[in-house]
This record gives sequence, structure tokens and C-alpha cells, in this order.
Amino acid sequence: MTRTQPGLPGRAWHPVASSADVVLRHVFQGRLLGRELAVWRADDGYVNVWENRCLHRGVRLSIAVNDGRELKCQYHGWRYSNRTAECTYIPAHPADAPARTICNRTFPVVERHGLVWTTLEHDRPEDLPVLPERGSQLPLRAVTVAAPAADVVGALRSYDADDDLRLASESDLLLRFDGASGPGLTLLVQPSDATTCVVRGVLHGVDEADPDVSRLTLLRLHNRALNRLRARVESEVGPLEPGNDEPELELVPEELAELPPATRPGRSASLRVRVERKWSAGVDVAGFALAPLTGHLPVAQPGAHVDVHLPNGCVRQYSVVNAPGEDDRYVLGVKREPESRGGSACLHDTVREGDVLALSEPRNNFPLRRDAEHTLLVAGGIGVTPLLAMAQTLAHHGLDHELHYFAQTEDHLAFHDRLAALGDSVRRHCGLDVAATTARLREILAGHAPGRQVYLCGPGPMIEAAREIAAECGWPVEKVHFEYFQNGQEIDKDSSFEVDLARSCLTVQVPPGQTILEAVREAGVTMPSSCEQGACGTCIARVIEGEPVHQDVYLNEAEKASGEAIMTCVSRSASPRLVLDL
Amino acid sequence: MITLFDYELSSDCYQARLALAVLGLHYSRVDVEFYPGREHETEWFTELSPLQQLPVLRDEHTTLYDAQAILVYLAARHDATGTWLPRRDPVLVGEVTQWLGLSRALASSAGAARLHESLGHVTDVTAARARAHTLLRTLDEHLWFGEQEGRSWLCAADHPTIADLAVFPDVALSEEGGVSRIDYPAVRRWTDRVKRIDGFVPRSGLFPGGSAAAPWPR
Repeated sequence: MTRTQPGLPGRAWHPVASSADVVLRHVFQGRLLGRELAVWRADDGYVNVWENRCLHRGVRLSIAVNDGRELKCQYHGWRYSNRTAECTYIPAHPADAPARTICNRTFPVVERHGLVWTTLEHDRPEDLPVLPERGSQLPLRAVTVAAPAADVVGALRSYDADDDLRLASESDLLLRFDGASGPGLTLLVQPSDATTCVVRGVLHGVDEADPDVSRLTLLRLHNRALNRLRARVESEVGPLEPGNDEPELELVPEELAELPPATRPGRSASLRVRVERKWSAGVDVAGFALAPLTGHLPVAQPGAHVDVHLPNGCVRQYSVVNAPGEDDRYVLGVKREPESRGGSACLHDTVREGDVLALSEPRNNFPLRRDAEHTLLVAGGIGVTPLLAMAQTLAHHGLDHELHYFAQTEDHLAFHDRLAALGDSVRRHCGLDVAATTARLREILAGHAPGRQVYLCGPGPMIEAAREIAAECGWPVEKVHFEYFQNGQEIDKDSSFEVDLARSCLTVQVPPGQTILEAVREAGVTMPSSCEQGACGTCIARVIEGEPVHQDVYLNEAEKASGEAIMTCVSRSASPRLVLDL
Repeated sequence: MITLFDYELSSDCYQARLALAVLGLHYSRVDVEFYPGREHETEWFTELSPLQQLPVLRDEHTTLYDAQAILVYLAARHDATGTWLPRRDPVLVGEVTQWLGLSRALASSAGAARLHESLGHVTDVTAARARAHTLLRTLDEHLWFGEQEGRSWLCAADHPTIADLAVFPDVALSEEGGVSRIDYPAVRRWTDRVKRIDGFVPRSGLFPGGSAAAPWPR
């Protein structure tokens, strides 16, 4: 699709704001070729250029709250992440992780010459005009003119700020003036829509040491000249009926109009990352910062994990430690397991900085509610990783929480810097034996009250103990959320049964020794999976009919008793036939 | 005890509520139904406010019926810091008064367009909008050069004054009258700053602001 106006040259990239316009914790409202843009800078400095509407009810995101890491729509509180514009939280569905497909429209961004540039056409090379970089550059105050771009370009040819400037060249809505003795000037016309444009200027070669010509004097001189020009052009053109440049409606992209391509069965690893940094994050804990080879990483919501495909062929799941808005890399914490089956040993001993790894996209089967009056996070050892992501989120949103962290010694506490940043909400419990740990858990979990939620992650026996104690203390099961590292149970694979896939209109036999997941994939039905041992929750399926035999550690007792869901990687059927919503 | 005779949707009344809030003053509200009841034209209200203007402020034995007069009075009487109306600084007093004048011009342009749209007031809305845009252009230029000089507020002080409170309502609500602020980026940044003033209260049609930047932990 081309988005050029009739009679205008076809440069794809245009300035839409000056860098100084995009201050922290603000959303700049921009416009280019009839399309409104929300332009905002995250606290890490990254500038986002997005379509100016919330996906939910179309409210302008230029009135959203920029909290430094995300934009929060003012209407129903949907949150969109820095860089990718993926929705990270929907307050009306507090228990659910928003699907990755809920993603606002983003436009490419380049910040250069004191201006923010974008293009409405994806995959266009950066055809930014190169501005002279001799001396220092000084962006002028932008002036909006209610006239078509062509008229404004015409008027700018006789731009008369001072006698020193001489028009040197003109192309693509750009006029370059040389200064005979003073600074040169580039004037750019940003076509906002058919009847409005913005004139942006950059002075180059400004001599900051010259006391006679101060920055402010120059800015005021050119502002007066541009105001004169605007008055002249607007009176010549006369009042214009706005809105005759409705943005062209794009065709539905092919990838959405067609059936998705058949994916290969098995675990997918669509991301390629480079180990940007590897460090000791605590005793026996290696920290990894993984940066994308190209583009942006999909956002990891708090509680999410990724599959890491290792050079030795192993695939392991690790929780992402990232705080909200920290989207330029994934941070993982990997504990060296003494009885490693190849995962942690490989990451500790073989993988080095600079290595490239394949990852799955992050999945969130351990989502964090943000509607609790108080949230308890209870971590054992390396189980701190997802809870650290949650604690950082709750802290950023100013929500009441405590992170209880059990470890062997102070030195075993991982991610000291992040813990320190969380301040008083972190309670460290070091060197406790089983009995003391149980007693401490009893103290922590004693305060059940409505409006509280608890999240547990750690070694199996600790989670078991905490869940039992929580039940004794009166916590309803739906308020006790947990994630196991692995499924320690012996899996019985001896039964055989039939599975009907209701959506796919298929019946498959599951013989002894095969899992439902394997049988379903063999029949050609795509099914996501991750840990494949009944711990992570990725391969969940809804049960329509039949009696599942649960062998996972993902579902809680109530969910297991209801018989409405099954983990297809380990669980089986007690009835001869199981009907699944697949 | 301070009493404010108030109408929720009036931007003049909102100026008074803002001033009372940032000064941390307790007051009681009396609702006057401007629309549709036209209660401001009743005999009892005309006695309070002969020009039938809202809001009216009563403090002890004083009764005032003009929004800008109320701001000046509240700051002069109740602001111990002396910053909201810097009486000792002649330049600032002049500047404050100048911007109070602009707030009236906004009321008769952006404000009139808003009343036209929301309460069906009869007005030449095209002329009102054009006038509002002229004022906003001036305001944007003033605020942009202010940022260049390291100034965040309307007056040449390192703190807000009643001028900011007086100009804010009709600017922040202009879009209800069909006056977009897309072309006034410095004005948009200034409205963010006003929303972060300690004690700021929102009103219907206005969202509260987010918090200011904090260091980025790594």
C-alpha cells in the first residue's frame, strides 16, 4: 500500500515530533497523513510510535497514563507494554493472561537530528534525509499550518528569517538553506493530513560559544518568521474543510485472511537471542540476559516462562525475571542442579556470553491478579524467579504485597540488586530446617482474609507443605496459586483408551506407553506444549465428556475434582472414551 | 467556614474547587442547578450573585461571585506560603492578572463552544472555536519558550500560581467543545504538570494524571 498524497513525493519516513516534545511520563499526540499517533517515551529512553487508539473501545491513547513502562488506557485500564505494544493486563479479567495477539499497532521509529521519525509503511528502508551534522543542531519550534503541504513548501522557498540564508536544494518536502556566515537550516514539512501540515526546522552549525547569537534569540527569530509565513499561507489558502483525507483503510493482511500454515508438531522455538551477559546472581545461580538478534522480544508478563533450547538438545523451562517495561532482553536465573539431567549443567558450564540460543515465545500459565488487596508471594530457592517478576510489577503499580524468600544462606539469595530495589516488601528467611520452615510458613499464611491472594513457587515438598498449611488456615484453593519446577510423581502410562477431538472431528486411540499429546499430534492436530511433564500448564485441554485421571502438578484439587480440564502430556482417562475440546 | 455555591460542570466553578483543593481548605458545597433547572436565575441566587454568575464563595462575612476574584481572594487570604498569588512581586502580580484575563477569553471561546455542544447554548460556535485556537496558539508559544527557558508554569516563577489554576479548566476541557489540542504540544505537557500539582482534583470529563518520572532501576 502506498500512502502518498497526490502531487507529493514519496519519501516514506517523516518527522512527527521533536525529541524534546517526547518528555518522560507524557503521551504526545501526533498526526501523519491523516492518521493519529500516540508517541511516548518509556523511562528507559525508548520512543514508541503507536496508533492512537486503545484496541478495546477505541479511546485515544494520547490521554492514557504513561507510567514509564506501560501505557494504561484511561477507559478500562488495559495496559500496553513498551516497545511491542502487547497488552499485558486486562483489569476486567484479572485471573487471565492476555493473549499475545492483543497487540496495538506500532510504527517503526528512528530518533535522529533532534526529531522523532516514523513511517506508516512497514518494511520500508530508512530513507531519512541526512541532515548536516557540522557543529551542533538546534531543532526549532514546530509550527502547524492549516494548509496543504504543497502550498507550504511553495511558501517556504522564499523563507525570510534573515538575509544570511540562501535556498540550496529542495526535495521530498525538504528545503535546505545554507548560511552565508551563520548556521544552515533544514526545513521539513510533515504532512499531517490533506489540509494541515507541520513545519519542523533544524539549524545546523550553531556556534554555541558565540555570545551575540544566543540559542533563544535564534529560536525566537525563526519562530517569528514561521508565524509570518503561516499567517500569509493561511490567508492565501483560506478556510479549508477538514477531514477530506480519510486514511485509506488497509486490506486485511494476508496472514489474517488465510488459514495459518500447518505448524510442525512439537515444541516451537521461534525466537533467537544472544547471551548478552552471564553473571553469578547468587550461590549456584547463573543470571542470563538474553537480547534479541533482530527486532523486539514479545513481552513476558509476570509469571511467564520460556523454553530454552540448549546446544545439547535439552529443552528446559525458565521463568522470566523481568520487571514491567523491561522489554529489551529477557533475564533468567538458572540454578545449578546437583543432579542435573543436562539442562542447568549445560547453561552453567557450556553457554557463554555471545552464544545464540533458541527460545519459545514466553507463555504465562502462572498469571498474576492485580485486584487483590494484599498479595503474598512465597518463594523457595530459585522459585523466586517468577515471584520476583510479580513483586516488581506489584511494586511498580503501588499494590500491597510481601515477598517471602526462603534460602539456605544469605549468599544463596539470588538477584540482590532487584531484591534491594524492592525494599521493605522483601522478607528473607535463611538457613531454616524443615520444621522451622513449616513453622514460618504457618506464621506467614496465618493471616488469611478476603481480598488476599497467595502465590507459591519453590521445591515440591515446600509447595506441598505451604498448600496444606494454607488449607488449614482457611485459604480457599482458588486463592492459592502455585508453580512447581517439575512433576516428581511417577507417571502411569499403562492404560489405553479412545479420545474424541470434538472440534477436529477425529477419534484417536491412545495405547499404553503413549500420551494423549503424542496421539493428538500424530493425528495431525497442532497442540502447544512446553515442559511435557505436567508442571507448566501449556498443553491444557478442556474435557467435554469422560473421566480424566490426573497425573499433573499444575491443576489444584478443585480443578482436578471438577474434571473439566486435563494436562494432555501426562494425564489419562479412567473412562474408555474421553471427549476433548480440541 | 467557607461555602461554595457550585455547579459541577462549570469550568469557572472548577477553578474555585481547584484553588480550594490545592490550598487544602475545607469547605461546604451548595449545588446550584445551572442546567436544566436555571437555578442561577432564581431570586435567592440573584441576591447572592447579582449578575447571576457561578460560582459564589462565602467566607465569614465576605461574598464573592466571580471565579477569578475568588481565586485572588482565596490565595490572598488563605495561602500562608504566598506563592499562589505572589503579592510582593509586582512583575508576577502583573503576569497573574494578565493570565486571569486570558482565562476569561477562554471561557467566552473554548468555554462557549463547550456549552454549545453539551448544554445546547446558542452561540456562533465556528467563531468561538476559531477564537479558542488563536488563544491556544498564543498559549502554546508562551509555554514552549517557557520550557526553553526552564520555566514550567505560566508565570515567570518556579512554582504554579492561581494563573495556572484559572487557565487550566477551559484548556483541559476544550475537546468537549470540538477544539482539539493536537497542535499545541507544549500546552498538552503543561496540562500534565498541572495535574501533578499537590492537591489537584479531577472533575467529570477530565482524567487524573499519572505520576512523574522515577529512576529506572536496572
